[in-house]
Amino acid sequence: MKNKSIVSPVDGEVIELENVCDEVFSSGIMGVGFGIIPSSKKFFSPASGKVENAYKTGHAYTIVTDDGLDLLIHIGIDTVELEGECFEKKISSGECVKKGDILAEADIDKIMEKGFDPVCVVVADSNKLHNVEINYGRCYAGDIVMTYEQK
Amino acid sequence: MKELIFKINDKNGLHARPAGVLSESARKYKSDIMVRCDEKEANAKRLLSLMALGATNGKELHITINGEDENEAEVAIKSVLEKALG
Repeated sequence: MKNKSIVSPVDGEVIELENVCDEVFSSGIMGVGFGIIPSSKKFFSPASGKVENAYKTGHAYTIVTDDGLDLLIHIGIDTVELEGECFEKKISSGECVKKGDILAEADIDKIMEKGFDPVCVVVADSNKLHNVEINYGRCYAGDIVMTYEQK
Repeated sequence: MKELIFKINDKNGLHARPAGVLSESARKYKSDIMVRCDEKEANAKRLLSLMALGATNGKELHITINGEDENEAEVAIKSVLEKALG
């Protein structure tokens, strides 16, 4: 089966999941994926699919992709605590999105001022993936970051 | 079959972190583990399914565990819920 891909939701620097400062993500509990230190405010959908849940706090989005993969896009660590402050949600639960459609705007500077790590984490259900490859380093929103084959 | 009822005591509800910890624990068991909140039902082994419950603070989670290792799973799930959302 040909390789499939997930693109970066934001401009920034792609880092290893192991280097994300949150054990729940770095340990792989949440799935396989990557972190991105964001350098811009706009976050876009990394794949086409259906938004299963856009948290009312605007910091987390779950998408079931068109090929049936479970994806979580989580902006910042522990940012649920901000209760929506610093986040502007641009999409609602149940909507369909195309790769590159806007999900949210986040005030990265303000998130940091408030003492939170703004790293964005993108993880997918590891049971369904193999031959995962990730391009680390500088990237722009829409660049291919992760390629995989589906079981 | 084992049944558990757990009331969420976390102002942020069943958000990513507790959902992640719960699904990780559930995946260790062979039993089917379902979580119901109001009219929605989720497969506890699937992170996105749990997150889609929209289970907020004060809501009751109704958990059913069905399978050969349901006794062990019940103990584990109860412990995880109390730590993550209690």
